[in-house]
This record gives sequence, structure tokens and C-alpha cells, in this order.
Amino acid sequence: MQIVKLPKENLDKFVGSLSKFGEIHAPIKKDENTYLFSKIEDLSKIELNYNRTILPPKKYFLPPTETIFRFSPEKGYEPPKDNLNRKYVLLGVHSCDIHGLKILDLVFSGTYVDNYYFTRRKNTSIIGVSCIPDDMCFCRSMETDFVEDGFDLFLSDMDDSYLVRIATSLGDDMVRASQSLFKEVDKEDIAEYKRKSNEMKNYFKIGLELYNLPEIMDLEYESKIWGEMGEKCLSCGTCSMVCPTCYCYDVFDELNLDGKTGERRRRWDSCLFKDHALVAGGLNFRKERSSRVKNRYFHKQRGFVAQYGRPSCVGCGRCIQSCPAKVDIVEVITKIRSVDYE
Amino acid sequence: MAKPKVGIFGITGCAGEQIVILNCEDQLMDILKILDIRSFHTALSENDEKCDLDIAFVEGAVVQPEEEILLKEIRKRSRLLIALGTCAVWGGVAAMKNEVSRERLKDEIYGPAGKIFESIPAQPLCSFVKVDFSISGCPIEKEQFLQAVASLVHGDIPILPKYAVCTECKTNENTCLLLEKGGLCLGPITVGGCDARCLSYSIPCSGCRGPVEEANVASEVEILKEKGFTLGDVHNQLRTFAAPAEALQTYFAKRGRE
Amino acid sequence: MSNYSAKSGADNIYQPSLARIVRILPQIKDHRLFELRFEDPEMRRSFTYNPGQFVELSVIGTGEAPVSISSSPTRPGVLELCVRKIGRVTEALFRLPLNSVVGLRGPYGNGFPVEAMERNNLLIVAGGLGMAPLRSLLWYVLDNRSKFKEIILMFGAKISEEMLFKFELLSLLDRTDMKCLLTVDKDEEGTWPVQVGVVTRLFDFVEIDPEITYAIVCGPPIMYKFVLEKLLERNLPKDRILMSLERRMKCGVGKCGHCSVGYKYTCIDGPIFTYWDAINLPEMI
Repeated sequence: MQIVKLPKENLDKFVGSLSKFGEIHAPIKKDENTYLFSKIEDLSKIELNYNRTILPPKKYFLPPTETIFRFSPEKGYEPPKDNLNRKYVLLGVHSCDIHGLKILDLVFSGTYVDNYYFTRRKNTSIIGVSCIPDDMCFCRSMETDFVEDGFDLFLSDMDDSYLVRIATSLGDDMVRASQSLFKEVDKEDIAEYKRKSNEMKNYFKIGLELYNLPEIMDLEYESKIWGEMGEKCLSCGTCSMVCPTCYCYDVFDELNLDGKTGERRRRWDSCLFKDHALVAGGLNFRKERSSRVKNRYFHKQRGFVAQYGRPSCVGCGRCIQSCPAKVDIVEVITKIRSVDYE
Repeated sequence: MAKPKVGIFGITGCAGEQIVILNCEDQLMDILKILDIRSFHTALSENDEKCDLDIAFVEGAVVQPEEEILLKEIRKRSRLLIALGTCAVWGGVAAMKNEVSRERLKDEIYGPAGKIFESIPAQPLCSFVKVDFSISGCPIEKEQFLQAVASLVHGDIPILPKYAVCTECKTNENTCLLLEKGGLCLGPITVGGCDARCLSYSIPCSGCRGPVEEANVASEVEILKEKGFTLGDVHNQLRTFAAPAEALQTYFAKRGRE
Repeated sequence: MSNYSAKSGADNIYQPSLARIVRILPQIKDHRLFELRFEDPEMRRSFTYNPGQFVELSVIGTGEAPVSISSSPTRPGVLELCVRKIGRVTEALFRLPLNSVVGLRGPYGNGFPVEAMERNNLLIVAGGLGMAPLRSLLWYVLDNRSKFKEIILMFGAKISEEMLFKFELLSLLDRTDMKCLLTVDKDEEGTWPVQVGVVTRLFDFVEIDPEITYAIVCGPPIMYKFVLEKLLERNLPKDRILMSLERRMKCGVGKCGHCSVGYKYTCIDGPIFTYWDAINLPEMI
């Protein structure tokens, strides 16, 4: 992979130059300790040193709510004429979130390809940025602290500069369009990159062990921990909303007052909601809150492994940070793994 | 197809829901195209008090024996009865002091004038009659009302979100007032649909839309206690809008008030 | 930049096509058989399916719901859905007059492994509305009779008035190339011509060669337990017991998450699962 150097004093110029590749979105500071991806009007608002955004980048590809059809008795169901083809540049995406998008890609592709998702995906370039983990990050243990693809450019912070990995032809175009802002990587940079890279593991304060986890979860299917979690869980849906890989959605029709026309919409859903597995007639396959909590953990850490060969958790720490009831996935998995826990 | 005959009624409440309906200015003409409104005391000078109705929207809580009678009459007249607003769905603010005797409240508030009328602990409509559908909110959301009207006229029971306020608060990317600011926020156990409006203005959720289905009151109370609130603080907030709700009653019956 | 609209037709996996209700046959209480015909002649020609698959049916203005296909692909041009009035969408469907237009997309799901089932005996066990998807299979195998060995149908309903497709099935009693066993739990008036008792009692009337038999089971959750017991008693291999499951298949294409069972999606990995799958997927039955 081609790697070049971008001195930090050139960052603003470079980011400014990206607007011809699409509307620029990047993390901004919302509050003392909260960040979000937002449209950038003023380059000085960009915060590349952030821990995590409230919502992951999935909001750009699977919006919290969207109209998938307009309907009328005469014309049936017609997709909206929204401009899904608008180009975006998503700057400052962490490695874990890029992995999150790669996981969503798996789900929305396959035999049935979700074009709403993939059209947006195709039209959005991703520029990653390195980060220093905080005390809720456990990406290293989920093997998402490093990313090989799924981005056009990736910026690794070297204090005075960024080392820029160029992963795609588009990424290369972006760099070439502002060639004069970049420098070649020299020997000192390489040494510094390695030093930083070797240090990285020291920053992690939490983590979970994946070895044999699917089997351990099968063995602990009846564990009392699910009941305990069910007692704490509020079914408020927070963890699902903020999760970079939760993709469940609900579909509903909104009828206009004319009683004929309307919209078919979808909106983010959560498997923790009581009616998630409810079928017509009132039978609910996951009536108990504990069974819904269990389902969520099993799907992420066990089911997804069986289906796609890896857990669908990327260790971003969002659910730990935002669960009102302090349900902590690392704690739960650690408890399940613990020999003493009965 | 004949337009459904509709009555819009208010018992004890602030008429807020009826005002929301009247505030649907851009849609009022469309509403009249599809509904045959026979009774709506707040808006009509001539009301049919006897005719059969297809849909009755009822706002407010029951706080007097006469209201119970009136409500039962409405129920008899109407094929569908829709509870409108938090008072009708949960009892609302009128039920806040239900544990205090009515006689004492009447005496304290009205003095001797209180002797001339009867008062009973405020209850939601469902304590007296079958309610076919509920639209909660203090006041109700205009969009939800219009959605519900469209569905009902189409012949369907409306679908409104059942998730908690947190769900919408998160999708709006608000800073969590409960966790980050230590606010007494009832978002996790309050039913959404309001687009977390207050939270987006940095005001913690006061629970005005009533509890979600299967509200985990115990967990919410634990969280708030950890944030430094007393059970009394939490109880005061919880009973403000939905005191008669089973989830709250059960929890506080079990716990007392410490 | 061009104005993009999400592609319609085959490129948009959520796109319903319009279909007309051309026949409504009342069945038992709250059950009707709807025959549908696509508005688009091309769709009419190209739409084909496997027994056991389902469609997503939209009532315009109300919403969408999964419905299993009750007709057989061996009768081209005929698409029948047997629907129970049980939820919002089905209630709205029942209000629609003949000739109304609805939305349809599909077919979805794996359907029965009919090719693997060839040259085998088939034991079809149905209870209640479970007959709806199994009717598709039944007619498929009867129309391809020479491809299969012995065919046994066991179907139980609570009472005669609640037996789906009763007259159609009673007419099978005379067939010599299959064994049709129909039972009702109760027959207070004594008018039921054949067996009385729960469906599992029908096992007393049949021989099963576990080496060359596929059992196909569909019915209310409570039925599975007892029927499975019987099948295991007769040494039927767990991966030759096929079941059709009901879940909340909202998107039908493995995205929305509502029909997940363990790590499978009923809509794309099912709705036909083997008992072996079920053992390995907690919560399945």
C-alpha cells in the first residue's frame, strides 16, 4: 500500500480540497464529552481527536428513518426520488467503525442486495483516522483496532503529521489533487510509526477473550446471568441505536389523510423491544426481557460467528458508554467466561 | 363510503388535546372531508348528543361520578373509543395526589365550596370502559393524531411507536442528560413518539407521555438513586403524569416510599 | 449529479408488484383462500416458486405481512394464498372486495427440498392452519406422483367445521396412490366419516420405513412436541424431519432482523428447517 505524509499544518488545506469529492462530514464536538458526525461548514470545527461519536457512521447508509416507497392505489409502490447519488466524504472514521461498516456490508449484500444502503455506500468515500483508546474501547480484543480495507485513505496521527495510507484509486485521486501538500515518508517517520504502533497495546484498559467464546456461550445458555441482565435492562433501545453493527429495522406504512396515498417507511429497531419477535395473533417468541438480552448477546457474539466467521461486535464502547443501566458487554462476557461464576 | 361519525369529548383535563386538533390548521379542511364530526363542544355550536358514533375521541381523566356516567354513555354510543392524551390514557396530573383523601383535597383547595360537588380519585378511561386505542402525550403529538385519524378512517387500528424516549433521543444524537449531566430523566421508561423534543432542548424527560410497556421502574430508580436522587424525588416525578399506571403502582406498593 | 431513484422491479428487493384478487373462496371461520393474479403479464409468466415458500403481501395503506403460498407450482398461472384473519394486514385484506389490487413480492424462503425428497416416502403431518403451506407440497407431489414412493397425509383439526380444505382433502380418501388420514379431535354429532382423536393417534395406522422417509410437519407450536416424539420413536433421522416455522418475517430478505432464531433467519434460511437445525438453534420450537 502506498503511504505518504501529510504535515498537520496542511490538513485544513487538504480537507478543504476534498469538497470536490463530495460534501464533507466529520466529527465535531457536541458537548464536553460527546461528539457526532456532522456536515462541515467550518473546517475549524472538525475534531479528529475524539473518543467516539454518539451515533456510528451507519446513520449515513441506513438512516434512522427513511421512506422506501410512496404508494397510491393507482401507481402502487414507487421508490422516492431522493438523491441517493449525492457524494459524501466521511472524514475521521475510526478503525472500529470501518469494521462496523464492513459488517453491515455483509448483511445488506448477499442474495438480496439492499440498494438503498449500497447506493449510499458507493457514493461515500471514507477517510479513516487513527485513535488512542479510552477506558471503554476494546477493539483490540475484537480484532478491529486495525483495518486493511474499507477506506479510501487512512490517517495515522504522528503528532506533527499524519501518515496517509492510500487504499483506493479514489483515495489516490484525492492525494494527487493536492500533491504539493504531501511529503514522502522518511526513515524517522518509519521509526516513529513503529514506536507508536508498539505502544498501542498499552493503552487498552479492557478487553474480552474471544477464544472458544461461541462454545462457552452455548454452554452458558441457561446461565443465571441472562436473568440478572434482564432485571437491569430497560429495553430502552439505546444500545441498538448507538451500535455500529445493529441493523434491525421496522417497516410501517404512513397513510395520508386522503386515505389512499402515503409512504412506506423504515426505522431503526431493537431486538430488545418487547414486540420485536411478536407475530400476528399475539404469540411472542421472546416475551421475557431476559430472553431478549440473551438474544442480543448471542446474535452478536455467537450467531454472527457461525454465519460470517466473526462476532458482529467491533469493541467501539458505545453501548458501555450510553447504557443508562450500565449493562457492560465486557463485564457480561468476562462473567460468562469466569470459572467461578455459577 | 359514508364518512365515519365522530365525537370529540373532553372530561377533566386542560383541553390541550382538543387545542392540538384545532391547531392542525393546514389539515382541518382535509379532516372535515373524511370525518363527519357530530360532537365537539370546544369547536362546534351545535352538537348531536344522542347519535351513534363510529369513533369517539375522549380527552381527560375521570374525577367525578358524573364523568364516569358520561364516559359510559359515550362508550355505548360509539363503535370505537380512543383515549386522547396522557390524562385519558394514564390519569395524568389530576391523579398525582390520588393517595390523599378527596375530602381533604377538596377542603384544602376549595374550602366550603368543595362541599357542593363530589370527587373521586382520578383514573384513566380504561378503568371504566374498554378503550380501543390510546394516543398519549401531554399534549398529544399532532402528527400522531393525524396518522391515527388516517388509519382509523381506512379501517385500521393505528400503529404508534412503543419504544422509549431514549430511542429517539439517541437517534437525534443528544448528549445523555441522565448519564452525562446527572439529570432526573425518565426517558428510559417513558414512551417515545415526541422525537425527544425536551431532551433536544436539554430538558430531562419528565415522563409526560406515560410509561412504556413493561417499564422497568426498579432499574430506573436504581440508576437515579446512584445519581444522587432520593426515592422521594423519583416518586414525585414518576407520579406527575401516570400515577395510576400499573408498573408504578406495583413498584411503589412493594417498596413503600423509604 | 443525476437524480437517483432507488431502482424498482428486480433491483429493488423491497419492491411490491401489483396483483389483483381474482377469486375469494371462504374456507373455515376467519380463513379465506385468495387467488391473485399479477397485473404485469410478464410477472404472471415469470413468477414461479417452490412449495413451502412465502410471499410478502401488502394491503395498500395498511402494511405488509408474510403469507405462505397454498397453491402448487405444478399449476402454472394459479397463485393462491390461504389467509387467516388474525392481524392488522389480514383484517384489511378481508375487507377488500374482489378485484381489488394488492402488492406482492417474493417468493421468499427456501421451500421444501423437493428434489432431495424424490424417490422417498413422504409423511405429511399437518395441524390447523399448518395445512396452508403443506397444501402446496401435497399438490406438488401428487402432480409429480411418479417421482415419489408412498405418500401419507395426516391432518388434524379440532372439529370438522375447523378443517381447512376439508372437501378437497376428503376427496383424496378414495385415492389408491396415497394414504389420506384426516382426524378431528372432537365429533360430538357423530357425523365425521373417518378418524376421531388427536393427530398423533393416526400414527397407529401407518408403517414408517425410517430409511427412506421424509416427514414434513407444520402446525401450531404445541403440536410439534407430540408429533416429533412419535417420529423419533419410529427412528426417523432428525435431518429428515422437516418443519415449516412461523416468525415475524418482515422484510423477507434477511435484513430487518425480526425473524431471527438463534443465528438463522426464518425468511432466508427457512421457513423450512429440519429437526436437526431446531436442536441446534435454541428457541426454535
